[in-house]
Amino acid sequence: MLMLDRGRELVDRRQVLWLLVVRDLKVRYSSSALGYLWTIIDPLMMAAVYWLVFGFVFNGASRGLHPYVVFLVVGVLAWQWFNAGVMDTTRALQQESKLVRSTSLPREIWVFKIVLAKGVEFVLSIPVIALFMAAYGHPPTWTGLWSVPAAIVLQALLVSGIGLALASLTVIVTDLQRVVRILLRVMFYLTPVLYSVHILEKSFHVPHITQLVALNPMAGIIDLYRRAVFEDTQTPWQVPAIGAAVTLVIFVVGAWIFRHLEPAVLKEL
Amino acid sequence: MVAQSSAPSAAPAPAGGVPVIEARGLGIEFQQNRKRRLSLREMLFTGRSTSPQGTFWALKDVTFDVLPGEAVGLIGANGCGKSTLLRLVAGVLIPDTGGVTVRAGVAPLIELTGGFLGDLTARDNITLTAGLHGLSRAQVAERFDEIVDFAEIQDRVDTPFRHFSSGYQVRLGFSVVTTLDEPVILVDEVLAVGDRAFREKCYRRMEQLVGGGRTLMFVSHSENDLKRFCQRGIYLHKGEVRADGDINDVFKEYVKDSDKGLGR
Repeated sequence: MLMLDRGRELVDRRQVLWLLVVRDLKVRYSSSALGYLWTIIDPLMMAAVYWLVFGFVFNGASRGLHPYVVFLVVGVLAWQWFNAGVMDTTRALQQESKLVRSTSLPREIWVFKIVLAKGVEFVLSIPVIALFMAAYGHPPTWTGLWSVPAAIVLQALLVSGIGLALASLTVIVTDLQRVVRILLRVMFYLTPVLYSVHILEKSFHVPHITQLVALNPMAGIIDLYRRAVFEDTQTPWQVPAIGAAVTLVIFVVGAWIFRHLEPAVLKEL
Repeated sequence: MVAQSSAPSAAPAPAGGVPVIEARGLGIEFQQNRKRRLSLREMLFTGRSTSPQGTFWALKDVTFDVLPGEAVGLIGANGCGKSTLLRLVAGVLIPDTGGVTVRAGVAPLIELTGGFLGDLTARDNITLTAGLHGLSRAQVAERFDEIVDFAEIQDRVDTPFRHFSSGYQVRLGFSVVTTLDEPVILVDEVLAVGDRAFREKCYRRMEQLVGGGRTLMFVSHSENDLKRFCQRGIYLHKGEVRADGDINDVFKEYVKDSDKGLGR
């Protein structure tokens, strides 16, 4: 019930939330010469490195789908949103501590605005994917019409849930920031960004490995994005389905943790 | 236990009997030594926000009502809980016991430049901060000139905020927060901002706001300021209400206590 009240309050304050998102983006772009390009350059350079190392040196192209570059770019850009969102939400409350201490907005707003700002940057990078597809003469699929919006909603929920938990926990346990940084790096390789889920079953003879990987919601979410590019991602539907269920659980747990730590967090700020 | 020493009705009750601020048994406990971190599990599952050892109560069982249009001064020695009380009323701290009901919008003059970002221009900062405090886009546009005029930065609205001197930064903050038309104003010793001439302007603005029927809660150590704006005083001592009533009487009590060395 409390959570519903909070939700209603946030809906009432959506104008403020939007204002904060715009403010974040403005700050990011007003202080740098290349502005918007940075959001794309960073993941594209990483994709280029992975393409060289895994595409050619380790012959990773056979571990993904063809064309491998497009496969990579989709995964890396989606991962970029996840990575940047989780990193920044960890510091969400400390970074804005002055505002948190002087305005009585619902405190969840400080997490959501980061998730949304990063989400907007991700959406703005979608044209880059389109460019790559055009370059390879690779038309988009009809599935993408719903799978991409679904993936965006799921990813926003996922990053919010993790962010709500981490933002409040970090105020109390400051070391968490470092732990998060390491975990994110590990998670990157455990998530099917550089490879595809179907490869795992062939490479590892572990029972239920697909279901195991699907417990990481990013596996299903990235698969949903890829369904807009590839007719057949060779990934069973249960992967995004399990991912969606886990995402919802993470969101509810994250919101619960945030609510319970709120009084203590406000004292510490 | 009732910590009140006189009924809130001691102040002349203006029209409209429903209190705009209603504090009941407010209490908040803080960590005394920061080394003793409390266990996370305890906080999550018992809902406690402090551990049993090494804590102190910054406020204990504070109960009072503030009627619409009243101007209340909070008096007390450093560390007696004045600012904490203001933050609880503003809703930026959550009490451990009791609760506070505020039946109207609040304009907090607590951290004046808190919402401003150095990289953005004064223009962007005004729009954003005013928006954060609940003004709509149209309202901001309407009041923009007034805010700029008051802070006297007409020729520098497109300068990045960090290039302003600290004095001008506070001026702009004061200017934005006092243009909000929330019925309740909370002031934490931020009246004396800027140079002599600007300070006079601030005082006039405050008088205008209080005269306009707003409700004011005001933390200050300045006897002059307190008596200038407030009719009622609440004297806090070690987190408890020691006196509540006419500002002159309450201030006398505070002076008496602090002369005896009790105030600290």
